[in-house]
Amino acid sequence: MPEQTTSAAAVLDTEDLRSTIAEILDVDPSEVTDTADFKEDLDVDSLLALEILVTLERKYQVKMEESNLQLMRSFKVVHDLLAEKLAA
Amino acid sequence: MLTSLKGSWCLILGASSGMGRATALAMAKEGANIFGVHFGTAAQQEEADELVAELRATGVQVSFHNCNAASKQTRAELVPVLKELTGPEGVRVLLHSLAFGSLLPFLPQEGQEDVITPRQMDMTVDVMGHSLVYWVRDLYVAGLLPRGAKVFALTSRGDGRVMPSYGAVSAAKSALASHVRQLAVELAPAGVSVNALRAGLTLTPALLRIPGSEGLARYATDSNPHGRLTVPEDVAEAVVMLSATDSSWMTGNVIDVDGGEGLV
Repeated sequence: MPEQTTSAAAVLDTEDLRSTIAEILDVDPSEVTDTADFKEDLDVDSLLALEILVTLERKYQVKMEESNLQLMRSFKVVHDLLAEKLAA
Repeated sequence: MLTSLKGSWCLILGASSGMGRATALAMAKEGANIFGVHFGTAAQQEEADELVAELRATGVQVSFHNCNAASKQTRAELVPVLKELTGPEGVRVLLHSLAFGSLLPFLPQEGQEDVITPRQMDMTVDVMGHSLVYWVRDLYVAGLLPRGAKVFALTSRGDGRVMPSYGAVSAAKSALASHVRQLAVELAPAGVSVNALRAGLTLTPALLRIPGSEGLARYATDSNPHGRLTVPEDVAEAVVMLSATDSSWMTGNVIDVDGGEGLV
């Protein structure tokens, strides 16, 4: 919901991020390995990818671009993208 | 009988751009309160915020929610909010204007190895087709579709014609037209009408995402008997006009709103 905001930007905890993504994908966090391909291995479609993007924006108080959707191929890529946004 | 839309509630799924946005503005101008659902990143949220401000300036009540309209959880969260806001009046107009789907071909093409996955096919048909049924059912069960309420879904010529990347969306549009007929019959005893509007080619953000859309737009501009493309405001005008009656006699149709484009 749009009203949900946190007072301070969350810190990037790798395992917490893994659990967050696993929850959106409705899979066990152990399946979200660093390199598992979202589309091929985890059956992620573009709507789920947008769910991930929007959830991360809210949780970590960052701004993503719609073009970032194409880049989201694995946990590692998402993690690095987020780390880069948080460092900016 | 023609009745005023003033003070009624209009629920728009896919409210932030294209035809949903234009309908929100047109309905607000008639005094209808707007409940909008849209889904996007922070950048798109800013555009939605501007729209909300523009709608509020007309003096109507506005409630916008950035969440995935096709998810069960969203409906579970928003239907009670709608009930609270609309009170016993319920929703006078529901516009299903969700345009989110996969535009990948069914077979590998030269230079384009990516093909649609079962998951993407299901998602597209669910968002652009089946979600109409689930919203209508949840609203009906919650007592939010009073006698005289209007349900509109948006379709396109792609429901019967073939374009290279439109396979899944075309399937969704075909399902949508079927759902409109089915819901029209099931809702007839309740005095609620259900129709699909088939707009001519319109330069919405959703269209611009379709590969080859520029060529389609050129062709439609040349062939439309009115000499121009459909604009979102044409569709908004049709929604306002068709919502102005409390009759449910006109139901179960696919109504062309295309300036005659489909005839030539």
